Amino acid sequence: MSNGTFAVLGLYTDAQKIVDAANQIRPRKLGRLEAYTPYPVHGLDRAVGLPPSPLGKLVMGMGLLGTALALLFEWWTSAVDYPLITGGKALFSWQAFVPVMFEVTVLFATFTAGLAMLFAFNKLPFFGHPVLHSKAIKGITRDKLALSIESADATFDVEAARQALLDNGAESVEVVPVPAWDKPLSLVGLLRTIAAITAACIVAGAGLYGAEKMIPVVPPMLHMHNQPKLNAFRSSTFFADGRGMRPAVAGTVARGHLPPAFATPDEAGLMLANPLPLTQKSAERGRKVFNDHCAVCHGSVGDGVSMLSRAYGGKPANLLSNEMRGRSDGQIYGVIMLGKNAMPSYAPDLDESDRWAAVHYVRVLQRAQNAKDEDLR
Amino acid sequence: MTPNDAPRSPLARNALLAMTVVGAAGTAAAYLSAGPARFWANWILWTLFLLTIGLGNLFLVALERLVGAHWSVPMRRVPERIASLVPLAIPMLIIAFFGVPVLFPWTFPEAAHNPILMQKTPWLNLPFFAIRLAACALVWLLFYSFFVRGSLRQDASKDAAFTIKARKLAPLFMVAFFFTVTIVAFDWISGLEPEWYSDMFGVYLFAGTFLSGIAAMALGVLGLIRRNRLPDVKPKHFYNLGTLGLAFTVFYAYIGFAQYMLIWYANLPEEVVWFKHRIEGPWYPVAMLLPIFHFALPFFLLVGAVGKKSPKVLRIAMLSLLFAHFVDLYWLIFPTLGAQPLFGWPELAMGCLFLGLGFLQIRRAMGRGADMPVGDPLLAKGLEWQL
Repeated sequence: MSNGTFAVLGLYTDAQKIVDAANQIRPRKLGRLEAYTPYPVHGLDRAVGLPPSPLGKLVMGMGLLGTALALLFEWWTSAVDYPLITGGKALFSWQAFVPVMFEVTVLFATFTAGLAMLFAFNKLPFFGHPVLHSKAIKGITRDKLALSIESADATFDVEAARQALLDNGAESVEVVPVPAWDKPLSLVGLLRTIAAITAACIVAGAGLYGAEKMIPVVPPMLHMHNQPKLNAFRSSTFFADGRGMRPAVAGTVARGHLPPAFATPDEAGLMLANPLPLTQKSAERGRKVFNDHCAVCHGSVGDGVSMLSRAYGGKPANLLSNEMRGRSDGQIYGVIMLGKNAMPSYAPDLDESDRWAAVHYVRVLQRAQNAKDEDLR
Repeated sequence: MTPNDAPRSPLARNALLAMTVVGAAGTAAAYLSAGPARFWANWILWTLFLLTIGLGNLFLVALERLVGAHWSVPMRRVPERIASLVPLAIPMLIIAFFGVPVLFPWTFPEAAHNPILMQKTPWLNLPFFAIRLAACALVWLLFYSFFVRGSLRQDASKDAAFTIKARKLAPLFMVAFFFTVTIVAFDWISGLEPEWYSDMFGVYLFAGTFLSGIAAMALGVLGLIRRNRLPDVKPKHFYNLGTLGLAFTVFYAYIGFAQYMLIWYANLPEEVVWFKHRIEGPWYPVAMLLPIFHFALPFFLLVGAVGKKSPKVLRIAMLSLLFAHFVDLYWLIFPTLGAQPLFGWPELAMGCLFLGLGFLQIRRAMGRGADMPVGDPLLAKGLEWQL
C-alpha cells in the first residue's frame, strides 16, 4: 500500500491548530513529520520534533578556526617569511593583525552558516520536491498550512496517517505520490546542455565583440588613472624647466655622507682615528664589506692577488706589506673615501661605519699573516 | 491595579541605611585623610557609575518606545525603576562640579600657556562647562519625567494615547541622549587629560552605558522572577536581553579596539601617551580585566541560545558586564591620579555610600506602581509574544 507514496498532507488554516495536531501525532510515530507553511509558525519546529540545529556550534567552530588560521598566516608572513619593519612596529604586532583576524572569522562563519544550511542540513540541491507536484501547493504558498506525514520506510501506513490527520482537525487530506522522475542524466540531455552552453557563449562573445567595435568604450576608473600628479621620469608643465623630477638643491648632503674635511689620505691619517670599537661584530661587518667591495681587486686575504688582477694585469696594493702595515687607520680610511691611482672612491657605496669596519678587517687580515705566539693560545 | 503590595523586609532597608551611613562617614574621612584629588576622582567615578546605569535604562525604555517592541513591555517597569538613578546622580554631578578645579588640568593656571589647551578654551572653560552640565541635567530630568511618570500614570488611566505620544517623542530623546552621553564622556572623563583627543570616545562611553544598563535591567528582571513578582515573564522574554547584551558586547569590543588600534598605529605623542599610562606598568593587570570581563566571558556565555534562556548563565554574564563597566570607568579615570592603581578604604567607603544610596533609590522606586506596566495596551501582546 505504501508503495509509491511520498507523504500524506493534512491542510489547516489556523497556526495554533497545526501545532496542536503535530504535538498529538508526533508520539504515534506514523512516519517522518514535516510541515509546509507560507510563513514561520512559532513552536512548530519543536512540535514536529526537529532537534536543535547543530549549525550554531559548527559556525562557532569554523569561526574560531578562521581566527586561528588568519593569526597563523599573518604571523608567518610578517614575522617569519618576509620580516619587514613597518612604521616602527614590532614584526609580530597583534594589534595590526586583529582586523584581518576579525574579517576571516566572519568569512569562515558566514560561509559555514550559508553552505552548511543549504547543502548539509537542507539537503540541497533538491530538484522538484514531491510536494511541489501536489494539488495543495497553491494553498501552501498562500494561506494554508500543511502537516505532512512522510514515508520513512516500507512500513508506512497511508490509511493510518490519513485517519490521524483527519482526527486532529485537518480540513482536507491529500496523498502525495512519489512523482515519476525522468532520469536526470541522459546522453542526449547532456549533449543538448553542452550545445546550449556553447551556443550561448558564442552569441554572447560575438555580441560583446561587436559592441566593443561599434560603441566607444570608456575605460573604467578613468579618474584614478589620470591624476594631475608627477610621475617618475616624466616631464611636467608645473616647473619652469619642464622637468618633473627635481634636482637636489645646491649644497644638499645626503644623510651619512658629509663631505670629508681632508684632501689627501695622508691628511686623513693625521686627522682621524677609528671611532668604531674593535669587536667581533664590527670585524664581521668589516669582513662582509671587504669581501663585497675590496676583495675583487685586493684578493680575499688582502695580498693584492685576485682573479681580476690576474686577468687584467693590474697591480692592486698588497695590503699585507710592511708599508701598508705601517699606515695609520686614518690613511686607509682616506684611501677608501678618496681613491688612489686606479682605485675609485668608495664613498658613495659605503657609509661611514662600513668604511671603518673595513679598516678593522684590513687590520685583522694583516695580523692573521703576522701572527704572534700569544694569538695561538 | 493598585501599587504592588509585595512584602518588603525592613531588615534589608535598615542594612542599606547602615551601609550608606557608614559610607558617608568613610567619605568624610577620605576627604580629610586621602586628599581632595582622590576624593573627587572617587566622587566622579561612582557618580558616573550610577549615572550610566540609570541613563542606560532610560535609553532602553525609550528604545522600546522608538521601535514599538512588544517583547520587553512586561519587563519595562524594571528599567523604569532603575532609571530613577538618573535623578539621584544629577545632584551628585552638580556637587562634582566643585571638584573640577582640583582634578581637571585645563582649569590650572599653567593651562594658559599650553598651546594645545589654549586652542580648546572655547569648549573647556568653567562657565560653558556649567551650562553644559545644567543643559544635560535638564534634558535627562524632562525625559525621565515624561517616560517614567507617564508610564506610572498609565497604570491607572489605561490611556493608549500616552503610548502613541511616547513613540513620537522617543526619536527626540535618542538625539538628546547621544549628545548628552558624548558631552559626559568628553567633559567628565577625557577632560581629565585634556590634551588627549579621540573622536570615538563618546561612542565608547555609550557602549558602556548601554551594556551596564542592560546588565542592571537583566539582573533586576531575574531578581524579581526569583522573588516570584514577575510570574508571567518567561525565558522567551529575557532571551532578548541576552541577545542585546551579546550584540553590544561585540559592539563595545569593536569600538574599544578600533579606538586603541588607530591610536597605537598613528603613534602621535599626545594621543598615545593616554594609552601608555593605562596599559603599561602597574595598570596592565587592570586593563587586562576589560577584554576578559567586558568581552570574552559574556561573549562566550551568551553566544549560544542556551545561555540566553538560562537565568543562571544570564546572571553570570550580566554580573560580569556590570563589574567590567565599573572597572572600565575606574581604568578611564584613576590613571590621572598616578602610575599606581589606587584601591583602598576610601574607594570602598565611597562605594558603600553611593551604592547604598543607589539601592535605596531603586527600592523607593519599587514601591511605585505595579511590577508590570498594567496600563500599557501592548502588555497583552508582549505576554503572548513568541520567540
